[in-house]
Parts: sequence; structure tokens; C-alpha cells
Amino acid sequence: MRASELQHPLPVVGRDTDAVEAARLIAVGNQPGLVIADATGKPSAVVSAVDVLGLLVPAYVLDDLALAGVMDEKAAEEVWAHASERTIGDLLDDKAVRIYTLLTVDADATILEVAAQMADARAQVAMVAGGSDPQFITLPVVVEAILTFCAKRTDG
Amino acid sequence: MSIQIILALAIFVAAYVFIATEKVSRVLVALVGASLMVIIGATDDHGIFFSEETGVDWNVIFLLLGMMIIVGILQQSGVFEFLAIWAAKRAKGRPFVIMVMLVVITAVLSAFLDNVTTVLLIAPVTLLICERLGISPVPFLIAEVMSSNIGGAATLIGDPPNIIIASRGGLTFNDFIVNMAPIVAVLLVVFIGLCWVLFRKQLRYNADRVERVMALNEREAIRDVPLLIKSLIVLGLVLAGFILHSVIHLEPAVVALLGAGLLVLLTRLETRKVFADVEWETLLFFAGLFIMVGSLVNLGVIEMVGKAATEAVGTNFFGAATGLLFGSAVFSGIVDNIPYVATLAPLTNDLVQAGGPDAQPLWWALALGADLGGNATAIGASANVVVLGIAARNGHPISFWTFTKYGLIVTAVTVALCLPYLWLRYF
Repeated sequence: MRASELQHPLPVVGRDTDAVEAARLIAVGNQPGLVIADATGKPSAVVSAVDVLGLLVPAYVLDDLALAGVMDEKAAEEVWAHASERTIGDLLDDKAVRIYTLLTVDADATILEVAAQMADARAQVAMVAGGSDPQFITLPVVVEAILTFCAKRTDG
Repeated sequence: MSIQIILALAIFVAAYVFIATEKVSRVLVALVGASLMVIIGATDDHGIFFSEETGVDWNVIFLLLGMMIIVGILQQSGVFEFLAIWAAKRAKGRPFVIMVMLVVITAVLSAFLDNVTTVLLIAPVTLLICERLGISPVPFLIAEVMSSNIGGAATLIGDPPNIIIASRGGLTFNDFIVNMAPIVAVLLVVFIGLCWVLFRKQLRYNADRVERVMALNEREAIRDVPLLIKSLIVLGLVLAGFILHSVIHLEPAVVALLGAGLLVLLTRLETRKVFADVEWETLLFFAGLFIMVGSLVNLGVIEMVGKAATEAVGTNFFGAATGLLFGSAVFSGIVDNIPYVATLAPLTNDLVQAGGPDAQPLWWALALGADLGGNATAIGASANVVVLGIAARNGHPISFWTFTKYGLIVTAVTVALCLPYLWLRYF
């Protein structure tokens, strides 16, 4: 199995994408992360889903987790109402957030090559080189493909 | 002047410039500077590790380490968040009353914790309270960091420059309480008045949103009651140890380390959590600075400048105190006050040694100038930089000039008030 057989398109977000839209893309597609485009629109980086989750929570609560407990449900609802005020750009500017450079794998790379490169780079998403439209491989797809081989061996 | 002295001075000045411009990590600058001093032969291993005059001041390093461990464990209890929310509820949502209470809490905490830790604890809860009240947190954050810099001046452990001054001058915790705390209390009252003048127009009372503050449950902030009790007991014992120095004859560094050890033993926290809040970079920065300044002492540069200063001062110690107070305030507003005090402390020691008891107030002039001068600009103190970062991350950026326009006023007033204090009390 080659990378080109596992590839599929993914939504690409920009600096201006707000936190709610980013969260929706993750929830709907069950994505492990989001691909971020640079100023020219070219996919260049990946942010993990858990960092997008952090974008929904006020920064002062992340700075001091004890504050999450002092707010009741009503207060929390008011917090979510302001979630769209933050953007992917805020994540990119936050030095505490690790933004991964987008890993690129060859279209003819074997599943072992893809898995090794993704594990080494701790990448949740990789871009497949070549092709007119950007195509990607995500961690769940790679794991699923490997499990297929593991199952075959067990059955055999 | 020998080539070695010229090289040492060049290394020292270059390091200062790099630290002031903050283009390169200050730890890196201090350690590279220290290494270069060794390479040119300005100091050696014995001078660095074993000399009280020219080496690393282990009293300072281990006092900081011990207090960082104690405070790091104490802050996990949630007591600071509890206090701030309790205060906001007692103020019934009135912004200026909340500001006064937060300013007082911050100043008192700062007297016993380092300023950066204090603002890291108080800023997030301030943002929550202001968000609940629907008002800008900017005046609150500026007032808090300034009160932190003022309150930190009150004690030996409140501000790193005080720790250096205490160690170099042989001053005790009680010396600081007796000489610094009274003027700091006066300055705090004056500062609250200044807050009214500077910020009152930005403090809009919104009765409709008061219930949102009253709905906050401060008890939920206390995450670990046994941890809180153990931490407060140990902190109390450590403070008692500082105060009883003349009875127990233990240096503050030893008291802090014993306290940290006891707290680790009592709480049985994981090592990772115990050392999570130890700022190793800061400790290395101090070590590098001590080596650089020690090299100048070793080469006789400090003694040379000290002699010139002693001759210039003569017996006019009030003049010297005035110069130190205002000079330190100006300098500390521009560069980090830690390297400044590390350099000035041996020099001041020479003046005090030559002048005897009459020159002793020079230590207080140096401490007041260096501690209060940090309020002058947005980069005058580490705590200022930290608060500006928190504010920006939460969508309330405070520009350099927004901070500095308030800072210059507060610094001018507070430092000017120290002059009559020094004159009336000591001269």
C-alpha cells in the first residue's frame, strides 16, 4: 500500500479562521488536527485538535486551571459565547502552542515509510507530494491501514 | 590600566548592553560573559566557587531556590484565587473598591513571594473578575503589577535586589522590616490615591453585572485543603526563622532550604511538581552575574571606583543617598534591576565600610531606588513584562507607552517621597 492510496483532501484554514469554525471542522470530520495555510494560501503547518480545544477556553483559565471551578454553568455558557472572538492567528502567535511544520511524504512512499516519518515528526497529518490539489494523510487512516496488515497476520 | 582590566570592562559593558536590549537570552549573556571572564584570567575556579567576595553568592542562589520550591507548592493550593474572588465579592462589584483590595492583596503577597509569581497568580483571576463585570482589565493589571513592585520592596525576600543587598550588606530580615516596611506602607497608601486619580474614569460601575461576580464560588478554587494547611504552616515557620535570625543564627538561605525540605516531606508531592516552578534559568543568570561582578572585584576595579566614590562623597552621605536613590530609579527603569544591584552592591559596601554607621542608609537608598524604579517603564521589571504578555494573550494588549505613561508618574511620586523619608529618618 502506498501513500497515494491513503490520501484524501482536508479543509485548510487560515489565520482569520475563528475558533468556532475551527472546532466545527474538527468535530464534523473527527480530525486529529487542522492544516493551516500560509499567507500565499499554501498548506504549511498543522495545529493539533487539542490546541484548537484550548482556543475555545479563555486564556486566563488555561493560565490558572483553578478558575474553571469557580464558574457555574451559566458563566461557562457566557464564556462559550465569546469563543468566536479568537482565531487561528491567536494560536500561531502563542509561543506556548506548538505549531508543527507540515510534513510532506512522497506519493509512492510505503505505509512503513509514512508511519516512520509521521512518528518521528510527531505529526498528526502529512501532505502527499505532487498532484494539483493538496492531498493529505491523517494519523487515524495510517493506523487503520497498519491494523489491516496486523489483522491479516493474526488471521493467517 | 592593564589589558586584562580593559578586556574585563569591555566584556562587562557588552553583557550589560545585551541584557538591556533583550535581543539575546539574558541567561546566555550572563553565562557567556562569565566564561569570557574566566578565559581572560579575571577569575578562577576558587574565586568562583569558594570566595565570598568574588564568587557566586550561594546565600542568594539557595534562598531563591528554597522560596521558589515553597511558593511553587503553596500556589497549587488555590489560596490566592480564593482571596482575590473573596475580595471582589466583599467589594460587591464596585470597581475601585475591587482595585484597592486587589492592590493591597498583591502588595502584601509580593512582600513574601517574588513579584513575578505574585502577578502570575493575581492576573488570571483579575481577568475573570473584569470579564464578569464587563470592564477593561487594563487599569487593574497595571495597578497590580505596580503594587507588586512597591510591596516587594518591604522585605528581604520580596524582590531579588533586596536578597542581593541583604547578602552583600549583612542585613537581616528584621532590618528590612524596620527600615523598608514603614515607607512601603506609606507609599502603598499614596499609590492607592494615585490609582484613583489615574484610573477612576476607566472604572465604570455596572450594577446589572454585579450578580455575575457574586455567583463565582471562591471555595471551588481551593483544590487541596491539607496541602494549603501544610504550606501555610511551613511558610509561617520559615518567616519565623527569618525573624528569629539573631536567636537561631541560621542564614535565610538555610531557613528557606529547611522549609522547602520540610514541605516536600509533608506533602509527598512528585519531584516533577516540587520543582515545576523553580526558575533554573533565573538561578543561572544570577550565578553568571556574580561571576562577572566578582571578576571586576578580583581585578580591583570595584575597589578603584569605590575609592573614587568614597572621596567624592566624603561625609555627605545624604547627598550620596539622594544620588543612589534617583540614579538607581532611573537606571532600573531602563535595565533589569538585578544586574544593576549586583554591580552596585559591592560598590555600596565599600562606601558603607568607609563611612561606618552614618553610611548605612545608603543600602536603603539603593534598595528603594532599584525596587521602585522598576515601575517606570514597561520593561523596568520582569513582572511588568509578564503582565503585558498575559494581557495581550487575553485580548487586552497594553502598549509600552500606555504602561510607561502611568509608570513614570507613579515612579516619580513614590521615589520623590522616599527622599524626605531618608532625610527625616537617617540624617
